[in-house]
Amino acid sequence: MIRRGFQVVARLGHHRELLGAPRILPRLNPASAFGSSTDSLVSRFCSEKTDLKDYALPNASWCSDMLSLYQEFLEKTKSSGWVKLPSYKSNRDHIRGFKLPSGLEVSSGKGDWRIFTRCIQVDGQGYEYVIFFHPPKKSVCLFQPGPYLEGPPGFAHGGSLAALMDEAFSKIAYLAGQGLLTQSLNIRFKNLIPVGSLVVMDIEVEKIEDQKIYMSCIAQSRDQKTVYAKSSGVFLQLQLEELSSQ
Amino acid sequence: MLRSCAARLRTLGVLRGLPAGRRAPGSEPRPALRLFSSEEVFLKDYSVPNPSWNKDLRLLFDQFTKKCEDGSWKRLSSYKRESAAMMKDFKTHFLDPEHMKEEQISQAQLFTRSFDEGLGFEYVMFYNDVEKRMVCLFQGGPYLEGAPGCLHGGAIATMVDVTLGTCAMIAGGIVMTANLNINYKRPVPLCSVVVINSQLDKVEGRKFFVSCNVQSVDEKTLYSEATGLFIKLKPSLT
Repeated sequence: MIRRGFQVVARLGHHRELLGAPRILPRLNPASAFGSSTDSLVSRFCSEKTDLKDYALPNASWCSDMLSLYQEFLEKTKSSGWVKLPSYKSNRDHIRGFKLPSGLEVSSGKGDWRIFTRCIQVDGQGYEYVIFFHPPKKSVCLFQPGPYLEGPPGFAHGGSLAALMDEAFSKIAYLAGQGLLTQSLNIRFKNLIPVGSLVVMDIEVEKIEDQKIYMSCIAQSRDQKTVYAKSSGVFLQLQLEELSSQ
Repeated sequence: MLRSCAARLRTLGVLRGLPAGRRAPGSEPRPALRLFSSEEVFLKDYSVPNPSWNKDLRLLFDQFTKKCEDGSWKRLSSYKRESAAMMKDFKTHFLDPEHMKEEQISQAQLFTRSFDEGLGFEYVMFYNDVEKRMVCLFQGGPYLEGAPGCLHGGAIATMVDVTLGTCAMIAGGIVMTANLNINYKRPVPLCSVVVINSQLDKVEGRKFFVSCNVQSVDEKTLYSEATGLFIKLKPSLT
């Protein structure tokens, strides 16, 4: 009942705080203005009303560093304004209820599509990752590359990190400002990432200007002693129309 | 040079691989039993047409294959794993072989070849030694989706890294990606074919500057442009 209530409110783009367990239960704030604020985007994105499988959850392949840091952030979602983002097999699942801008229209055929970073579904073999977001600007992504992402022997392919940075940027750009498509990506690689180790990616929204969202990211080891890469990304804002009002 | 290496190593029953942006040797010679059972898979050259290749990709493949006839262009083979010889090469250049745990090595495979036919990256690269140009014909499958109906920006970044890296590697040997800068102009429709034209722009000591553009088959659409910096590894002193 609360959820139905907040979904209506969500559309009005109110709440400042998100409380509750790893889920979002925003406080009702009837006095705020309209618009797709970050809060409303977040609550819609993280809606519990789904039977879709969330891949951003621990499994047996997660190394102990990843598990413990995950628990730390999970605790933060209960009281410090952090939110855990769900991760579905396809972006089509994420944008249910929305229409793509014309020019990007897509056949609704029965193909088996997968979002690139969930392309390898065997636990631990490909991308293991989870994104935590602290509106309006901060985000942390925990990433563990599996053996199918190999480049140099024993290390993750540079392209796999580039891909995850693009993916994490895309989700944060969407929630921070309805960013949709990548405009540019700039990555400076510093050190190779051993397969199976934890990469902590700190992402900041630097600014939103001229309908573009500018973000930066530092990918490093948990103890911050090894910087794996630094990057920046620019995403274009593109508002998605709703398919139907509910 | 690559091909003769491949021929030599094949006689040892070991796979020769094509690194993606870096020179990376493959499985070590010790687990020979394991290799024999999966040899067929690992000896397979993935840079040849298969049923998932669409008409555009096949047509371009034929066109470039024709260009190879006079020796000015060469098609690069591409395998799922790297060879033991390259692995050894990599080890002498790069410290920390302790990172390579045995179980991981046996499971590991080159990222861009980790998919079943047609689902992920279908690509072939042709190289022109005189012009120092590398052309990559790439068809991105349904497991590489980003925005619905479009190729994921990260998948494009991966192929740009692979193409630029291979271009640098042919000129410089074992190289590592230092910088990658990609400008996206238009989204790439999923399952379409793109042509990545890359070239070596300049060499400064151990630095290899490369650039490329990503275009549609008819060259009417420019999807993206990218530049990259790759660094040649120095031999370690140990």
